[in-house]
Amino acid sequence: MELSERKAAVVHKLHVTNKHRFIGFALIGLAVYILSNTVDEWKAFQGATIAVYVVAIASIILLTGYSGQISLGHGALLAVGAYTAALTQIYLQLPVWICFVAAVLVTSLFGALLGSAAARLSGPYLAGTTLALAVGLPSIANQFSFLGGEQGISFDAGWPPLSFGEAFTQYKWFFWITSLAALIMLWWIQNLLRSRYGRMWRAVKTNEVAAELAGIRVARSKVLAFTVSAGIAGMAGALLAATINNVSPSAFPLALSFSLATGAVLSGVNTLGGVMIGAVALVAIPEIASLVADRWSGSESVASLLPDFIVSALLILTVFLAPKGPIEKLRSRHVK
Amino acid sequence: MIRTTRRKFLVASAVMAATALSLSVMPAQAISPRSEVGVTSTAIKLGITLPMKGSASFGYNQLPGAMKAYFDYVNANGGVNGRKISLVVKDDGYLPKQAIQNTQDLIAKDKVMAVIGALGTANNKAVASAVNLGRRGIPSLFINTGFSGFNDRKAFPTSSTILPSYIMEAKMIGKYVKDTFPGKKVCLLYQDDDFGDDALVGFDKAHGNLDFAVKVAYPSLSQGVAGVPDSWITKFKAGGCEVQIVFGVASATLYTILAAVKAQYAPKWILGSVGADIGSINPATVPYIIGATSMSFLPSVVDPKDEYVTQFKEINTKYNVGAKFNSWALIGMNTAFIAVQALKAAGKNPTRKSLLAAIDASGSKFPNAALVPLNYSQTSNVGLNGYWFGTFNKTGDLVPNDTFSYTVYTTDSGTGPVDKSSYSRPAMPAKGLPN
Amino acid sequence: MFELINTLLIGITAGSIYSLMAISIVLVWRSTRVVNFAAGGLALASSFVGAAILEKTGSFWIALPIAMVAGAAFSAFIEYFFLRPLLKRSGDQGAEIFLPIIATLGLLGIIKTILNYIYGDRIGALPPPLSDKGFVVSGESIALSPMRLLILGIVLLLMVSLTVIFQRTNLGLSLRAASFAPEISRLAGIRVDFIRTIGWAISGAAGATAGILQTTNGSGSVSPESFEFSLLLVFGFVAAVIGGIESLVGAVLGGLTLGIILAIILMYVGGSLVFIAAFLILILVLLLRPHGIIGTKGGRRA
Repeated sequence: MELSERKAAVVHKLHVTNKHRFIGFALIGLAVYILSNTVDEWKAFQGATIAVYVVAIASIILLTGYSGQISLGHGALLAVGAYTAALTQIYLQLPVWICFVAAVLVTSLFGALLGSAAARLSGPYLAGTTLALAVGLPSIANQFSFLGGEQGISFDAGWPPLSFGEAFTQYKWFFWITSLAALIMLWWIQNLLRSRYGRMWRAVKTNEVAAELAGIRVARSKVLAFTVSAGIAGMAGALLAATINNVSPSAFPLALSFSLATGAVLSGVNTLGGVMIGAVALVAIPEIASLVADRWSGSESVASLLPDFIVSALLILTVFLAPKGPIEKLRSRHVK
Repeated sequence: MIRTTRRKFLVASAVMAATALSLSVMPAQAISPRSEVGVTSTAIKLGITLPMKGSASFGYNQLPGAMKAYFDYVNANGGVNGRKISLVVKDDGYLPKQAIQNTQDLIAKDKVMAVIGALGTANNKAVASAVNLGRRGIPSLFINTGFSGFNDRKAFPTSSTILPSYIMEAKMIGKYVKDTFPGKKVCLLYQDDDFGDDALVGFDKAHGNLDFAVKVAYPSLSQGVAGVPDSWITKFKAGGCEVQIVFGVASATLYTILAAVKAQYAPKWILGSVGADIGSINPATVPYIIGATSMSFLPSVVDPKDEYVTQFKEINTKYNVGAKFNSWALIGMNTAFIAVQALKAAGKNPTRKSLLAAIDASGSKFPNAALVPLNYSQTSNVGLNGYWFGTFNKTGDLVPNDTFSYTVYTTDSGTGPVDKSSYSRPAMPAKGLPN
Repeated sequence: MFELINTLLIGITAGSIYSLMAISIVLVWRSTRVVNFAAGGLALASSFVGAAILEKTGSFWIALPIAMVAGAAFSAFIEYFFLRPLLKRSGDQGAEIFLPIIATLGLLGIIKTILNYIYGDRIGALPPPLSDKGFVVSGESIALSPMRLLILGIVLLLMVSLTVIFQRTNLGLSLRAASFAPEISRLAGIRVDFIRTIGWAISGAAGATAGILQTTNGSGSVSPESFEFSLLLVFGFVAAVIGGIESLVGAVLGGLTLGIILAIILMYVGGSLVFIAAFLILILVLLLRPHGIIGTKGGRRA
């Protein structure tokens, strides 16, 4: 009696929430559209970068926050997606959006391979493996000439259609493409995380043994998480390639993987809700910091160092004060 | 309760994003009507992106200081047609992606009129295609590279290089080696990208025609990894090399010399011009490069009778306080000197278009310290085209000989011969200021 | 022939330096179940201290021990003021290693920016105290020089001392007990928190040594943005994982393995494959032994 009541409540809640969620996303989409028409091209470019980070951080939240597998090497997965997109465009001459799809598929495949190797690894071993991957993978581009070497290969996301007018800069075009992709991906990811897959991953993360006993195929769920996370990261990589117009090893240094992990923690790695926070922080903080430094101190060295310092400090503060992320912190206060 | 909270958070995130973006207010810029980006009635803003920190920055990070010093000198003497010149410097760590990012910043955020003196072959190739400089009409002038590919006017309509192409340099080295070290085993270290590949073309059968006993390609930025330079030296020693050409960036040259000393490998060194002056980076290496051969297109930094050297040294002392006057300072100032002349020739109301047109029309006539002519024209993006050969003296400076008399060679990027140059450098304008 | 010998010597030298870094990481892991990325930053800071002392006193033999002490002090400081509160707050200590790792990343960032601010463009000079010209054996100079011997000697000395400390002394027993079963150790009267700080201090000293030796073996100068140090951290961590992050002997084995194989690949295959080679070595070892070469299976804690 109680069980079916609860079930009904859950179903009802989901049904209602889905509609609300859709409205929420539509509102965000509207906000983005309005923004894109009011900001200058530089801010549009930054907006595009934020969208890229949103997707990338979401992939880490899925893998680490939900499935409990640590990855310090998501930069490498972004690289796979970016190179796939660029190569698809150059050698197969396919339209841009198909290149994006290709990026997702190929990176998912890569993720599946990586996941099956990694499924048996725990904690520090997995961290070390992903770290080595982050350092090692981009450098392959120097070995094979079709990968473009150090200066990389170009990925052209195209120019806006002429019908949009002269004032529609290419940066705004990037902003539109990346934001649209990000919204779609987030919608899909949120669906996934609220489904039984999400619950399955959470269960495995909380207690592997209990999950196995409850009938969950632990290894499979882990590999699945890696696969999906990689696919999302591949999309982020392709979007990154679109905004920079270029795919080269130098675009995927270790620092990128660290930045993404940082962004994930700033967002609250356990839930998707705060994903924007981390992405905005990664882009906005260097901006704000250099502005502050310009106004306060004439020292150039301070100006260039302040952004890193603030991001690192913020990271540490977040880990100390809101280890489950700012959203959870607010929520728990709200509940209290 | 929970479901509305969730929605609230999603919307809140969007609002936060919008607020954050709009709060990052850009510093107020002069609202006076501008005729061109980066140009006001009182100022011209230029930009540069190059490695300032990190393992590839050795030597090159001294360039902006010298350029700024020259601009300060010009500004103190009335500027260019009444406008003061400023230079925005960005560090790209020799990474193409960062160079692209920096160039986007310079154009869209700092809103510079033109990029000058950007450094790095791979970097600038990436920038040209990714930032669409040509399509957007943005000049990238006097690029610090010798990559011959930039001479393609169709592909790079708004870019120009300043250094002689690497094909030219390789051809000249080839001739020098065959004349000076006939019959000896020659070996080559080069960077594994377009920079090095250009040199390979210059050394091949159709051009310089130099054969190598051992060739080693090093991936860019790997020179700082412990053990890597040692592995190169091991290979060279195993090959019995007697003449060693190092065609790499300054930090690679530095690490090569250091590793060679450790392994007691002492061939006849020939150091490519872009990376030769390692004595200015690490004075401890000076004893090891005495007698090593290198080449330059500028007069020797210690030439006592060259008017440009004397004038630039004075400017350096006054405006580049704390920086030693070495080959990096000289080349930086010379580039700035040429840039100022170009800006002046662009007219009383310079625009990006007029700047590019001025270089096409009169770039070849700009006086500057180089001992070979500038080859800018309607059809050519290439700057200088020749070198003199010299050796490093006891103080680590490159000199042609004891009397500072220069025998300058010139050639093309094709299969033409290497000839003595008959260029006679015009006199320096008074006080080193453009006419 | 000489090429192979030289390659091996280069590899062993580089590998032993990675081992030192790996030891530093393993020590921290064993005492607090945290992967300490800030170890790279601490090694950097200690190397700068070493360079400063070298400049003042002119003697490497004074500079090195003082740098080690500095490393120990920095490390202990971080453990006391930073890590203890962190671990208290993050509660679950089982699978949740992500947050502490990221926190140490943040710490690494802060250390680097502080060093950048203090030192800016200046570099710290750490020229090798002994000649690094190779010995000449039957007419050929080999890659073994007094300096290389010194590096190997120092690493060996440290390894032996650490083994002795851990296996033979009460301190070592306490260290092992505190990391294996902290609650029981507390009941047995061991001051677990203090012992942990000691563990971190030793780790800091090892890291400082690694940093200084890396510099003297490499370019002879240390700068805040040094690529060498990032590599030291990454390869040190990879070496620790290869060896099995629970074991000091494993750390040494992992470091040597990594160093030698990378040197061979560098010599006979090519420079650009070095980084991907590190990954392949790691994944191969872990596929065969998911807990590293010497790793023991099964969690040490629930």
